[in-house]
Amino acid sequence: MTNIVILVIGALLSVTIFYMVRKDKMHGPFATWWLMVALATIILAAFPQWVDVVASQIGIVYPPTLILVLAVSLILIKMLTMDMALTRKERKIRRLTQRMAIIENKLDQVIQKNN
Amino acid sequence: MKTLIVIPAFNEADNLKKLLPEILALNSHDLLIVDDFSQDDTAKTVKAHGIPCLSLPDQLGAWGATQTGIRYALANGYDHVLTMDADGQHLPQEVDTLIRQKNKHNNVIIGTFPKRLSRLKKLAWGFFKALTLIKIQDLTSGFRLYDQQAMTVLSGRQASMLDYQDVGVLLLLLRSGLTIEEVAVKMENRNDGKSRVFSSWLVVIKYMIQTTTLCIANFGVKKAK
Repeated sequence: MTNIVILVIGALLSVTIFYMVRKDKMHGPFATWWLMVALATIILAAFPQWVDVVASQIGIVYPPTLILVLAVSLILIKMLTMDMALTRKERKIRRLTQRMAIIENKLDQVIQKNN
Repeated sequence: MKTLIVIPAFNEADNLKKLLPEILALNSHDLLIVDDFSQDDTAKTVKAHGIPCLSLPDQLGAWGATQTGIRYALANGYDHVLTMDADGQHLPQEVDTLIRQKNKHNNVIIGTFPKRLSRLKKLAWGFFKALTLIKIQDLTSGFRLYDQQAMTVLSGRQASMLDYQDVGVLLLLLRSGLTIEEVAVKMENRNDGKSRVFSSWLVVIKYMIQTTTLCIANFGVKKAK
């Protein structure tokens, strides 16, 4: 039963991503990341025994902990890279704002000269 | 030496009305006002004096506005930029004090007026100086002269991510191997403009935390003269 629920979550996630790409609400690299998440969910639903195998290999007594730890780590990584991307965007916006003011000033000068 | 005086201004129409004629009367240097998305008549006031004015289409803060002026100066062939505040705190007659101090061996001159420090500021700066080993008295003074090397460093992409013009800018300059010198100048008390940093406790705390982070991240940077 749990497997079916996870499978449904994975399937819903993939459908949502494809829908968002289709509606231009999400672009390339982000869609790839989320599709990977959906794919991982589906694989996990199909072969849940892998979790137990891997967990026992690395000495985790309660296998679901492995999934939670991995999930939280991935979320943290994703959030960090998001803030890095935001910083890049902020830098771009600041520099473009400055450039725009400089170009606007030059444009005014040229227009004044022509009049 | 082709020097451009850059004045970042946010809602400073009243102060500029007083300041601009004084500067024009005293100095032969070119002047540029960077209007940081003001809601009052700052741009209009500046243009009425026949002075070029860059109007930012969004607010970037004092440092973002200053950097705009530095980029403008580089694009227009200036080899020095002198920055001063619009609120009348920095006196036009002291501009030459800074310029006289400039020689081959220094890149940045900071006009300092140590008496203006409140106890709180002294405490904050003592803390930052201890963290960064910067040997500069007045960390936040916006009365500065930058030469072409400093302008090149400060116009870069790296400097665009700084939020305040004090510690971050100084650390970047020092890291680039530039020499900073200070010279004592007279300063006026602020007319009616408020300090943007020391205006409310919340802003102060935010400023302290951000600057502390910056200091720690820059651990091991060379000492200033």
